[in-house]
Amino acid sequence: MIKRVEVNYRGIFQKSLGKYLGSDIVMIASRMGKVAFSNGRYSDSPERNGIPCKYFAFVAEDLSEEELEAECGAKLDIDEADVSVVVDDTMVKGVEPWGWHGVRPINEKVHEKGCLLVITRHQPEDLLKFIAKKPYPYRLATLEGDASLAGMWVFKDDLTRERVLGAIAAVDPGIISIEAVEAYLLDKTKDARRAGAAREAYEATLRRVRLVKPGEGINWSHPVPVLPKWHEFEDTGIAVPAVPRGFKLGPRGQGRNDRFKRGTTKTHRPVIRFDLCIECTLCWLECPDGCFDPTEDGLYDVNYEVCVGCHKCAEVCPEPECIVMVDELRFENDRSPWEHWVRDPQGYIRWAEEKKGKERVHFPVVTGTGREVREGTYVPPKLSGAETPA
Amino acid sequence: MSTGLPVIKYDKIKGVKNTPHEEFYTSGHRTCQGCESAMVMRQFAKASGPRTIATGSTGCMYVANTSYQTTPWIIPWMHTQLGAGGASAVGMAAGLRALMRKGKLPEEKINVINFSGDLGGGDMGLSGVSGALQSDYDLLIIMYDNESAANTDIQATGLTTYGAQTTFTPPGQKHRIMARRWKKNVAGMLAVGHPTCRYVATASATYPALDFLNKVRKALAIGGPTFIHTFDPCPKGWDFHPRYSHELGELGIKSGIFPLFEVIDGKVIYSYDPRKKGRVPVREYLEKQGRFAHLVDEDVDYIQQMVDKMWEEWEVPGVAPFRGNLNSAQK
Repeated sequence: MIKRVEVNYRGIFQKSLGKYLGSDIVMIASRMGKVAFSNGRYSDSPERNGIPCKYFAFVAEDLSEEELEAECGAKLDIDEADVSVVVDDTMVKGVEPWGWHGVRPINEKVHEKGCLLVITRHQPEDLLKFIAKKPYPYRLATLEGDASLAGMWVFKDDLTRERVLGAIAAVDPGIISIEAVEAYLLDKTKDARRAGAAREAYEATLRRVRLVKPGEGINWSHPVPVLPKWHEFEDTGIAVPAVPRGFKLGPRGQGRNDRFKRGTTKTHRPVIRFDLCIECTLCWLECPDGCFDPTEDGLYDVNYEVCVGCHKCAEVCPEPECIVMVDELRFENDRSPWEHWVRDPQGYIRWAEEKKGKERVHFPVVTGTGREVREGTYVPPKLSGAETPA
Repeated sequence: MSTGLPVIKYDKIKGVKNTPHEEFYTSGHRTCQGCESAMVMRQFAKASGPRTIATGSTGCMYVANTSYQTTPWIIPWMHTQLGAGGASAVGMAAGLRALMRKGKLPEEKINVINFSGDLGGGDMGLSGVSGALQSDYDLLIIMYDNESAANTDIQATGLTTYGAQTTFTPPGQKHRIMARRWKKNVAGMLAVGHPTCRYVATASATYPALDFLNKVRKALAIGGPTFIHTFDPCPKGWDFHPRYSHELGELGIKSGIFPLFEVIDGKVIYSYDPRKKGRVPVREYLEKQGRFAHLVDEDVDYIQQMVDKMWEEWEVPGVAPFRGNLNSAQK
């Protein structure tokens, strides 16, 4: 029998983490006398930062190395997973790594009695507001922590790696046992702190495994597209139809690639206080993804379906508190914020401030070198007479 | 040298509020968060407008833009091989000319733009670009320079900054600096080497605002083969948070490590002259990137000294590294 682990991670930012977790599982399972194999998802390469990607680890007790590798070598995806690890909790909203993949549920591969293990500071009930329902029971485990985002050349050594290993041992000892994890970390690093972190995460996770009943979760609204076969391609051979030309002012007024929106790339989304906007155009002009829509009143609506959350608009916006990046898990839908603002300016400002909360997450320039939470300032609404109800 | 067709009349975009709204390279590509090369695509398509055909050689912006049978392009776009940027532009322009001559297409000006990366345009495809710049077709070649082969996970190219970490140049215990080549000055080389090419420029997609948009329009309007080299901070390979990609571009220009200029009919115009307000120390630019985390003071001083030379000793600062003769002859 083969045990399968998949690590869902953010491209580049968590690439080293995903790779190390895969190789650690192989090393630990080998020390336990098993045969193991790890690889990245074939189609994730070349990886772009922020894109949802996967690493796999396979563990077997009764197969030879050759047999396991033949079974688990380079693949587009696996069919089912015993443990699906999610190292950035915003991925529970769904993942769309490339075109024609569709936005798929994060628990898609978790089989009956399998486990979805999420690194998060949210409660399991909050996560289930985004996760698709399954016809069979499975387990949802949460391990408290932040997404450990690092850069291409650095690995952020914040013990997330050790803690995830401990948590995997807790949810499925058939893959790796906590004793083997501890022994491996001690042997390899001679650092009791690392083995201790794994043990601590192991015990915490044991207390935080929740059974998800059949039908618990949401109805998944995103269809899974079927990629055309080679003989179904257009008459022109391998030509891909261009995006139809079209622009008008207002939300969704620009023609866009509707076969690949990739909004699942974001961990934060911009929340805009339209009343503070000075119409400088910079958010729209500087957006690499062209996700802002100019409106007839000179403002810029944002299309959250195609926003990838790069933070650039918030950085170039000259007005304090006008564009603020907010945790993606605070939002239920991708509706146009500008339409909300036009319909009910005061209600919109209340909504925006509630979503923003008090905390502003700040990242230093070099990735993986820290994350600071500062308190934001509240700017009172600037409403013209027409927008203020009498 | 030009095809003799009436040129498209472009107005200079004055003020960010007059930037055309319509996009011809739109959302739904698979680039990184905060990708400045995607800004180059978006802006050249915006500036050139609907009567444009683009060819792109293999590289980051090819693979990211054709993710499994989808495209963000509204204008026609074609992929060509890694070193074939120049040849594809010439072929495309020649094809259009032939079709028009045979009456199969109405006579009208259609812009032909090729974009190649720093590996495709500046290293591997350099001869093709040079050949294209000697042709008599109207075409524009844009070399988007993110200082690495970013599509295949960041390998060094001839345009990688000295000292940078790449997959090919990992810093080690014994040898700290593995990228020992000084960045190739492609725009300067092409301007010096192709005296009949009427327009060669360097640009950054977002700084100064509108600069790149107007350079694309100038290049397309002037006729004949033209070339623009863009400076694209790459959050993935340079290792900085995508939030700061504009800031990095701005710092690169203000520190003078990437000079911004146009060569129009042999005349050099500095689009942003960092000497006027005093050059920002290159340290401020280098320390904000993870790929330079291993540099020590000595290395930073060396880079600073090379940049100083470029601005203070070169006969044509930032453009051509010749020294002395012209000035002394005049004196």
